[in-house]
Amino acid sequence: MATLGATLLLLAFVISAYAAAASVVGARRRNTRLIDSGVGALYLVGAVMTVATGVIVHAFVVGDFTIKYVQRYSELSQPLFYKLASYWGGLDGSIMFWVFLLSLFGAAAVYINREKHRELIPYVVATLSVVQMFFLFVMIGHNNPFATYMTQAPPAGEGLNPLLQNFYMAIHPPTMYLGFVGLTVPYAFGMAALITGHLDDSWLRAVRRWTMIAWFFLSFGLTLGMIWAYEELGWGGFWGWDPVENAGLLPWFTATAFLHSVMVQERRGMLRVWNVTLVIVTFFLTLFGTFMTRSGVVQSVHAFGEDKQLALMFTSFMSAILIFSFGWLIYRLPLLKARNEFDSWASKEAAFLANNWVLLFSAIFVLFATMFPTLSEAVAGERLTVGPPFFNQWMTPVGLILLLLTGIGPLLAWRSSTLANMRQQFTWPVVAALTAGAISYGVGIRVWTSGLCFTLCGFVAGTIAQEFVRGAAVRKDSTGTDLFTAMIGLVARNKRRYGGYIVHAGIVLMFLGFAGEGFGRDEQALLKPGQTVQVDRYVLRLDSIRATDDDQKQMVTAHITVTDDTGKALGSMAPAKWFYRSRPDQPTTEVAIRRSLAEDLYIAMAGFELGEQTTSVEVHVNELVNWIWIGFGLLAVGTGIALLPERVFAFATARVGAEAAAALMLVLSLMLPAPAGAATHTDAQEPNASTAPPVGDDGLVYRSPLERELANEVMCTCGCRLPAGQCGMMNCHGKEEQLAKIHDLVGKGMDKDAVLATFVRDAGGQFILSRPIDQGYHRLLWLAPYAAALFSALGLAFLARKWSRSGADDSTPAAATAGGDALSQQLDDELRDLD
Amino acid sequence: MSSATSTDQGLRPWQLFLLAGMLAATGVVLVSKGQPLSSVVVLSLTVVASSLVAVAGYRSLAPLFAVVDPDDEQPVTGRARAALEREKALVLRTIKEVEFDHAMGKTASADFEEMRDRLKVRAIGLMRQLETSDYRAAVEHDLAMRTGQTAPAPAVVAPAAEAAADRASVAVAASDASTASAVAARAVEPPVAAPRAGSRVVQLCGTCEGVNDVDARFCKHCGAALSEAGR
Repeated sequence: MATLGATLLLLAFVISAYAAAASVVGARRRNTRLIDSGVGALYLVGAVMTVATGVIVHAFVVGDFTIKYVQRYSELSQPLFYKLASYWGGLDGSIMFWVFLLSLFGAAAVYINREKHRELIPYVVATLSVVQMFFLFVMIGHNNPFATYMTQAPPAGEGLNPLLQNFYMAIHPPTMYLGFVGLTVPYAFGMAALITGHLDDSWLRAVRRWTMIAWFFLSFGLTLGMIWAYEELGWGGFWGWDPVENAGLLPWFTATAFLHSVMVQERRGMLRVWNVTLVIVTFFLTLFGTFMTRSGVVQSVHAFGEDKQLALMFTSFMSAILIFSFGWLIYRLPLLKARNEFDSWASKEAAFLANNWVLLFSAIFVLFATMFPTLSEAVAGERLTVGPPFFNQWMTPVGLILLLLTGIGPLLAWRSSTLANMRQQFTWPVVAALTAGAISYGVGIRVWTSGLCFTLCGFVAGTIAQEFVRGAAVRKDSTGTDLFTAMIGLVARNKRRYGGYIVHAGIVLMFLGFAGEGFGRDEQALLKPGQTVQVDRYVLRLDSIRATDDDQKQMVTAHITVTDDTGKALGSMAPAKWFYRSRPDQPTTEVAIRRSLAEDLYIAMAGFELGEQTTSVEVHVNELVNWIWIGFGLLAVGTGIALLPERVFAFATARVGAEAAAALMLVLSLMLPAPAGAATHTDAQEPNASTAPPVGDDGLVYRSPLERELANEVMCTCGCRLPAGQCGMMNCHGKEEQLAKIHDLVGKGMDKDAVLATFVRDAGGQFILSRPIDQGYHRLLWLAPYAAALFSALGLAFLARKWSRSGADDSTPAAATAGGDALSQQLDDELRDLD
Repeated sequence: MSSATSTDQGLRPWQLFLLAGMLAATGVVLVSKGQPLSSVVVLSLTVVASSLVAVAGYRSLAPLFAVVDPDDEQPVTGRARAALEREKALVLRTIKEVEFDHAMGKTASADFEEMRDRLKVRAIGLMRQLETSDYRAAVEHDLAMRTGQTAPAPAVVAPAAEAAADRASVAVAASDASTASAVAARAVEPPVAAPRAGSRVVQLCGTCEGVNDVDARFCKHCGAALSEAGR
């Protein structure tokens, strides 16, 4: 079977080469036979990769350990679901899985667009085939998943990494890969448009949906990654700014920017060069993310390890892509001249420009900060760490600006908005913002970032509600229907616009969860059976610690009874550690979570002594965290609506029966206002005492505010790449050592700077800190974001000024054809019919 | 497609391959008695996938040996008209959006009227270009030819409009719809003075009078070579 699999990969490579060659030659010679044959060859690659996938999945299912990859990532006792997940659990298989998805995604994109965009298809096929060829070449020449043992194969497999044996982690890679390969399709169409010179807006229409689909999968993948980190890593958070997490975020930023800027080109004919650039950059970032993950160029808990040869292959391919793509872009610049007319900063296009500026800044900042340790080591020979505190410091205000723009954009009109219009548009959203701010202050939230975030969430929610209500009222007046029908018709006739608003509503809910992180509470406790400890309003009592086992692993579980501070029983929780027999040195943390809309009680077992029946537990009260997952659900609904074909809901253009309308509105009302109402309810219901100082108590490990701050500034030394205060690794001696050292130094009366200087001196470098000290050449890291923001803002202002001038020169022959002839009447008729 | 008009559907290649694949998968199930269920399922699916390889292989090789049916050739050069249609649809939607925004109180009346009027002028310009292309008459003529009825031939092309349309076609061939419309709009002006002047987005065959694309070299109805003059 291994030979068959390897042969299939070779065959796929040859067919891809044929598809690329036949398509290009066919297009150059206008030979439809060759073009059709090339298209067929692209489908054939998809079919061959499907069979190859069947071969390797079968090897996993039956446990064919003569194949090295199967032996390393699978074992017989592994559940079937994780045997299947093992396919993409390692480097070689993940590349193969990538090609498999790309071949299917690409074939689907070509099949759907083959008639509508005939002139582009040959070059789309060629581009997709070349990308496939690269990954197939990597597999055939370097990372063959079908490689076999030369001598006796081991009788048993090593098994999938226990950390990956989690439902969310099992489905996280496929969704991320779908996002990544999905973004290859817009790139292929963009390149085809550049090569053929067919640079009107039609290629944008072809790729918009595919970009939206890819963007959705990328968002889904990132959310699954967050859920996995939250449930599996045991540090109580969901985003650690790890290089591999950032690798998925980078193309997400630019794809989001593209989805917005594409509207400016469609409506105003502006930003043509910019849109092509964004498509190229987004694809490049997907490759770069893969390169970061797989080459070992950055250190990460998720990375596959160092591989210089692979790094060289990726670097060469990425360089070729950049030169080829931007070469064509420069060559075609004359055809990309746009009708740029910039009338006012108080306009929708200005909001989109600002949105693109912030998103691109985010991408550049995250890329630079992620790569800075590597650059520092290469240039200055100094190891550094750029950890979560640095990212949070910068990305928190950036996120808030983006949230603000999410609320402002829909309120502005294309071209320009007057002061009177803006007053009318902004009044209710601003009232909503002030109300939300007042409520958050009233319930005791004193963390400014969280309070501001709630205020902005109120603003955006007010904007969205106003758009729906006013839009429905306008439609009701113009169509003469009832409000329910008008609301459905509104969404049906403007699926992209109102689907987008629902996506924005999902983003608001996610920001509620992000804001909650600012005032959560966490404590460490050492418990014996019968002992109780209180964290926030929860009282925890350890009942027992028990060890059990099954075929795959041994499990040590702490059984804890939880009551509230009034003594009311809330149930029992069972945090655990699992020790897989195949990898006993990599125990997994199985956290216990008691979920509610207002907050999660999150308990992770940090350590235990079975003989003494004691356990050390990390207890987190995570406020509003579940709104992140609910927000993603709403985002998915909104994306689904925006993706619906034009004809769906066509019935809503006519008057629908009151019963049907009521039923549909009931469904919508169940989906939309309910979470918002619940959020308000839970906010009011659960006032927080977040700013209360930590209380020393029996069982609780006391830490002063300075110690807590320092625990976030000093890195853990167990290899988790997290600050000491956040490490959730089992048997992590690094964390305890670092926290004890912080405790000692603070106890000696040292201030923050002195403690950090001591750590740097003892470790022999600043890599021990979660962010470099703002001194010397490290200042480059701190200055870079300012410089990037400043230069891009200057560039933006320059462009806007240039467009304003060119717009003023563009005279429209208004009087020449404005005669009230038959065409005018026909236009009015067509406009009436359009509704 | 001509094949679609055939009444003898028969067994198509993809159906044949898929059927063979399913039969082979059934054979695998029978042979794999005693194997774990998951293994049998994966094997069967892999065998069915193999039939997809055959289907796609056929799809890739068949065009190389096929005789090209002129009726199957999709005209790429209808782009000029398609670009104008797209441009018009975009402008109409933009007008609706501007009206909607105004109704929601987002734009001042003066701004709204100025924007709407500009867009309407642009839409009318595009409609005039589409009208003058005599496309409707050409379609009616083509339809009549196919149904065997007689119909009046399309209007004669006015030299000035032809030159303008040619320029527009060149621009559209460069695939910039906006540039195309701008070029054509400038060239055709003053449009009010050119009632229904025909522009060359299509051409007629001298032999059968069939309608062909403007840059076609052979008639797609009778196969006769189209003269330079006809083009």
